[in-house]
Amino acid sequence: MYKGTSASAGIGIGKAAIVEDVQLVITKETVSDTASEIARFKAALEQSIEDTRMLAADLATRVGEKEAEILNGHLMLLSDPMLTGEIENSITKDGVNSEYAIEQVCNTYADMFASMGDELMQQRATDMRDIKTRMQKVLMGVASVDIASLPAGTVLVAKDLTPSMTAGINPANVTGIVTELGGRTSHSAILARALEIPAVVAVNDFLSHVKNGDEIVLDGSDGCVYVNPEPAVKEEYGKKRDAFLQEKKDLEQYIGKPTVTKDGVHVELVANIGKPEDVDKVLQYDGEGIGLFRTEFLFMDRTAMPTEEEQFEAYKKVAVAMNGKPVIIRTLDIGGDKEIPYMGLEKDENPFLGYRAIRFCLDRKEDVYKPQLRALLRASAYGNIKIMVPLVTCIDELREAKALIEEIKKELDEAGIAYKKDIQVGIMVETAAASLIADIFAKEADFFSIGTNDLTQYTMSVDRGNDKVSYLYSPLNPAVLRSIKHIIACGREAGIMVGMCGEAASDPLMIPLLLAFGLNEFSMSASAILKSRKLITGYSTKELQAVADKAMSFATEKEVAQFMREFVGQ
Amino acid sequence: MVRAKVTIKNPTGLHLRPAGILCKEALKFDKAAIHFSFHGSEYNAKSVLSVLGACVKSGDEIEFICEGEEEEEALDAMIKLVEAGLGE
Repeated sequence: MYKGTSASAGIGIGKAAIVEDVQLVITKETVSDTASEIARFKAALEQSIEDTRMLAADLATRVGEKEAEILNGHLMLLSDPMLTGEIENSITKDGVNSEYAIEQVCNTYADMFASMGDELMQQRATDMRDIKTRMQKVLMGVASVDIASLPAGTVLVAKDLTPSMTAGINPANVTGIVTELGGRTSHSAILARALEIPAVVAVNDFLSHVKNGDEIVLDGSDGCVYVNPEPAVKEEYGKKRDAFLQEKKDLEQYIGKPTVTKDGVHVELVANIGKPEDVDKVLQYDGEGIGLFRTEFLFMDRTAMPTEEEQFEAYKKVAVAMNGKPVIIRTLDIGGDKEIPYMGLEKDENPFLGYRAIRFCLDRKEDVYKPQLRALLRASAYGNIKIMVPLVTCIDELREAKALIEEIKKELDEAGIAYKKDIQVGIMVETAAASLIADIFAKEADFFSIGTNDLTQYTMSVDRGNDKVSYLYSPLNPAVLRSIKHIIACGREAGIMVGMCGEAASDPLMIPLLLAFGLNEFSMSASAILKSRKLITGYSTKELQAVADKAMSFATEKEVAQFMREFVGQ
Repeated sequence: MVRAKVTIKNPTGLHLRPAGILCKEALKFDKAAIHFSFHGSEYNAKSVLSVLGACVKSGDEIEFICEGEEEEEALDAMIKLVEAGLGE
């Protein structure tokens, strides 16, 4: 068994087809008839542009415009007059063959981009190498692996998949993907998820253990890969695959159904998103709104802060797409583990206890917080936006944020700019302090959303990234459960909505307890929505009271977990 | 020869997509050479690679230099395009 990073869920079983980019050997040759060598280069260039254009068009129609963007970038580079001019110049002046001229010129640019040390520029270096190989292959008559015509039941195995390779994948024939390199956010992983093909990436040294035609079994959910497995293993995964596909089908019947418990309690089932594009998946899985829109993405992977206008467009896009359904947008939560170089944050000795989220924003009102809040208010004219303040520990922070919002509202009124007058401002309850004074917060916040990831971390004083102590990290710890129960009770007492946007909201062991405590809103990744709806509609909150009482009576996490596992039948 | 300074407004600076938009516009002017100077070097506005190589970020100021029959029109078009945010 080999282990990699799970990149796209599902089980793939099939025969290995190793897709290896041929290592081209480029030699320097002297050319006397440079005019005909230039003609040869131009013909190859035309062919490469045409091939790329077709790949991009095909990918755009089959998958989406966004996925085709990289290839459209390649088209721009291939058509660049400076690039072709330099290559032609090298052929004429140095009297060398096209392959060698291309190698030299493209490598110079690739190295230049690579040395700029900016992530986007690194991508350009990869692009230069990709187009270089494409032109050389045309010149040398080396066929690219024809991924489009692989037979049905193929598991694609590769060192890494370049954009030009992934573009040709036909999901009807490719049952799985395994690569040696890459990560969850690499191009091939994103495309695998878009096409819903099970995939495992970053399997160390995999190519030296597999040959064409080997039987491969992969589990894209836990990252396990088997080569020529025992019949028993194959059978087990065959069953797992059938169960996975059956479950997916079963869950589809929950699309369009209301999220109501057997005893008639209605709860909201909403989604966590990180980018405006994620809304597509939310609508696909019938999310009833957005419970957490993390705005950090807008600020990351770039060299300067997004403008108010740019933020406004992003927030508006989500508000419009959700068409009046609630959209809770969390204001900037950086610092801690999420660094943004251009913000000029110094390294914190203790990042999770330091200068982050609301603490940072209130200190940087003029250049950071005000533009964001203004963008949020302006976007609220287009839908049901609610503002959520992260990491509050004392009421002053909420008051200061609300005062700032009022100040901006006045400015907007004076400028005659529209916004939602009664926009709700709530808090993320994720610190031990906020939990302890939840009754005080409930009087001034319009809603609560419990962030269980941080709440668990802060309550248990445990770094979940540290293997030696991560066993302590569980929301089923009596301390965390009591905190959650208390927060919900305080919110309900004050008559405000209480939601949860941490991972616990979709945990089958937690859902019965949260229903019993009276949680109003469950926010999770879009793909977990239908399964959670199935679970919630199967319970009666009245019947769950006794279960919750029993669960709360245990002294240890182990006992709670065991009891809940028995209850849900796991 | 005509020249004019302009500040890059779009958030990602002259990265691939904005650079592509800039070049596309520049290429419309067959009868003018269009360059810009930045940090003491000159870059060809008709080449995506040249523009990318300049590594211009949001907030940076560049100076366009146009030369040829269509120099006035070209300069005007480039400044307008940059001020409109290069499609971002």
